[in-house]
Amino acid sequence: MGADDQRGIFNDAVMMNCESSDLPPGQCRTDEHRLHRRLFLKGLTGGALATVSSFSGLFHNRVFAEATKKAQKHCILLWLCGAPSQFETWDPKPGRPSGGPFGSIPTKIPGVRISSLMPKCAGIADTLNIVRSMKTAQTEHLQAITLLQRGNPERAGFTRPTLGSALSQAMGQLDSPIPNFIFLDPIPGGNEFETFKAGNWAGWLGAEHAPVRLGGDYTQFLNAATQTIPQHDRESRETLRKFLTAKYERDRKSGVARSQNAAFERMKGLAASADLFDVNKLPAKDRERYGPGSFAQHSLMARNLVEHGAPFVMVANGMNWDNHVFQHEIHQMLVPELDRVLFHLIRDLEERGLLDSTLVIAMGEFGRTPWMNPARGRDHYPNAWSMMMTGCGLKRGVVIGATDADGVDVIEKPYNEQNLFATIFTALGIDPFGEYDLPGMPTFHRVEDKAEPIRDLLA
Amino acid sequence: MKLILTHTHELPAGVLGLAVTADGSHAFAACADGTLVAVDTATGGAETFEARHRSFASGCALLPDGRTIISGGYDGMLLWHDVETRRCVRRVQAHRFWNWQLALSPDGSRLATATGQYLAGGWKYEPAEETEPSVKVYDTFTGDLVAAFRHTPPVLSCAFSPVGQRLAAANMMGEVRVWNLPSGADDKPAAQWTSPDFTSWGTIKTHHYCGGIYGLAFSPDGTSLLGCGMGPMTDPMAGNGKMTWQRWNWQKGERMDQIKDGQHGSGLMETVAWHPDGKHFIMAGRQAQGTWNAAVFSAADGSLVHSMDTKQRITHARFTSEGQSVILSGAIGQPKRIGDLWPPWGRLQIYRLDA
Repeated sequence: MGADDQRGIFNDAVMMNCESSDLPPGQCRTDEHRLHRRLFLKGLTGGALATVSSFSGLFHNRVFAEATKKAQKHCILLWLCGAPSQFETWDPKPGRPSGGPFGSIPTKIPGVRISSLMPKCAGIADTLNIVRSMKTAQTEHLQAITLLQRGNPERAGFTRPTLGSALSQAMGQLDSPIPNFIFLDPIPGGNEFETFKAGNWAGWLGAEHAPVRLGGDYTQFLNAATQTIPQHDRESRETLRKFLTAKYERDRKSGVARSQNAAFERMKGLAASADLFDVNKLPAKDRERYGPGSFAQHSLMARNLVEHGAPFVMVANGMNWDNHVFQHEIHQMLVPELDRVLFHLIRDLEERGLLDSTLVIAMGEFGRTPWMNPARGRDHYPNAWSMMMTGCGLKRGVVIGATDADGVDVIEKPYNEQNLFATIFTALGIDPFGEYDLPGMPTFHRVEDKAEPIRDLLA
Repeated sequence: MKLILTHTHELPAGVLGLAVTADGSHAFAACADGTLVAVDTATGGAETFEARHRSFASGCALLPDGRTIISGGYDGMLLWHDVETRRCVRRVQAHRFWNWQLALSPDGSRLATATGQYLAGGWKYEPAEETEPSVKVYDTFTGDLVAAFRHTPPVLSCAFSPVGQRLAAANMMGEVRVWNLPSGADDKPAAQWTSPDFTSWGTIKTHHYCGGIYGLAFSPDGTSLLGCGMGPMTDPMAGNGKMTWQRWNWQKGERMDQIKDGQHGSGLMETVAWHPDGKHFIMAGRQAQGTWNAAVFSAADGSLVHSMDTKQRITHARFTSEGQSVILSGAIGQPKRIGDLWPPWGRLQIYRLDA
């Protein structure tokens, strides 16, 4: 059975973690995996491992695990694809040769300044957390998107699930009419992001954990189907489809078919929730507050979806942050939109009592160069960049890590994609080192190498 | 007509604005580090003025008496500098956002300044309405605001007509407005038109606008107006739109001529300037693809007369009053920091005209 054929059958996979002090990080004995998995399935692990003092031991505690699952957690990823400039957002260097034309402004956190393009975020900085010391290894979009969407370096022959898919499996409910992984992006294209979008998001978790893509014109089909096909036709087609897919699944013993079938069922539920994906159905006052652009409107939609129970919503706008040309001329528009969106999104979640259960992340796949190219642009820069995350499981008002005076190098607390993903999973109450149950495949964990979460951010 | 390079001078930061003495002996460079620098064009000797902008200095205009120079910046400020003492003698907050470009009336009595932030105004990122007048005119002697005009931001370029009776300004959307001066009670344009040939809206990769008309210049006889920029791109951040100029009969808002097929490469053209004899004009900018980034065109038929690759982005071109040389300002790509030092990336080039 090839790796790519194995996805669909692991949809009920449970996560286990191994504790092995005599092996390198991330490497565990196979028999230990089996033992833990069996124990967990029998519901016996809680007491047995309750005394394990490590972080991951918590997740072997049945009571803890159940309590965690009771409270639905959510995550909104504002995916700033193309990569925003840290200089024009979270780590300004005014007056330095790398600083660009925009100034910095004080924030609600004493001594911390952010770009003058973000006055609203400055006013709620004590609600945000800023990481100024991201340091990753990929300089090209496709590889970097892959890295920051999947959270670990690639391993040839195996497709790791993206964050959304991993969270869909860990936090989602298979019987929910709202998809567990919603991806809002109005732009069909996107160069390298387009390539990524066409790929396998769910990896070995299978199609039911792939995103349901909506937003912009993609949303129209939700209503279009019901408008164009008469009711009796729809029922006949549905009966036939069910029969054929069940037969196919039975005859072929195909996990793929089962995955696709589950995805189809999800789409049916989705069509029944079509209004949630109609921008025009969102309250006019909210629409005005968030602003007119498609990214802002989809961010509002994300808030609305979370309010209705969606576990994971990712909002993107093509690859609009890739400003190799007209860096400052485009960032002068994009950053204020992001500023306004973050301000309202976080305040709204807070006011609705949802921020404690909703993790909000705003990031791209890397940062931009400290130096300007001849086309008025900044190029790709993974060496030292910034991102923001706040909400569920995190402290508030923390600025972590630092770069040098020009923003060329990280000088304090470098973090990579694994640290970031370990933080995200931990904040959401999910074991970051949990092992995927993939019989016949190598051992994979949500985060490899036992990479530490950014502990200074964790509540 | 041919341009022969005689000098190249380096400056610490990219040069975004340029003014030149009538005889071409000195140039003044408004730089990305906020400074205004006086440069001896023969020796390259440079002196920095005392006051600097809190952001990029984006433009400068030398008054006809040669004793005062006014700089504009992305801090929205206008600074009046004494050329001899290098001291700042007046500060005026002209805008809440950038000064994109300055233009000086031919008699030196009026300074126009264009501003405007591109902010999302609609689902497709159409520019939002202005929140302050996009074009303002100041009295260069008193520093007083004498006129303010509405436009759709961002307004990237502006120019006075040869006798100073008209002011033209163009924006990112390719919309040109021409006003009579002095303006009446309302600021209704005397002429207004839009060319779709300078603006991109991304159909792949991203949905927003960029581009626009980056340079404007009235012909010496005042009957036509030249504009330059870059043609539309499906990926607005590729920077490879067609190098473009168009010439309009401004009273009718009709296009008279444009760059010829087969005579252009791709890249943003940022400046156009007429030779004093009115028979030629120069357009320059950045080359993304092609063989040149600065070229001289015939005013008679619009054909390319001479072109060259300056190996740098050109932000402004200024002919000396006799028309015997032209000075180009610009920047190379900013080099990486070496140790604690940032290598210079501003450039001034002096060319002699060989007829």
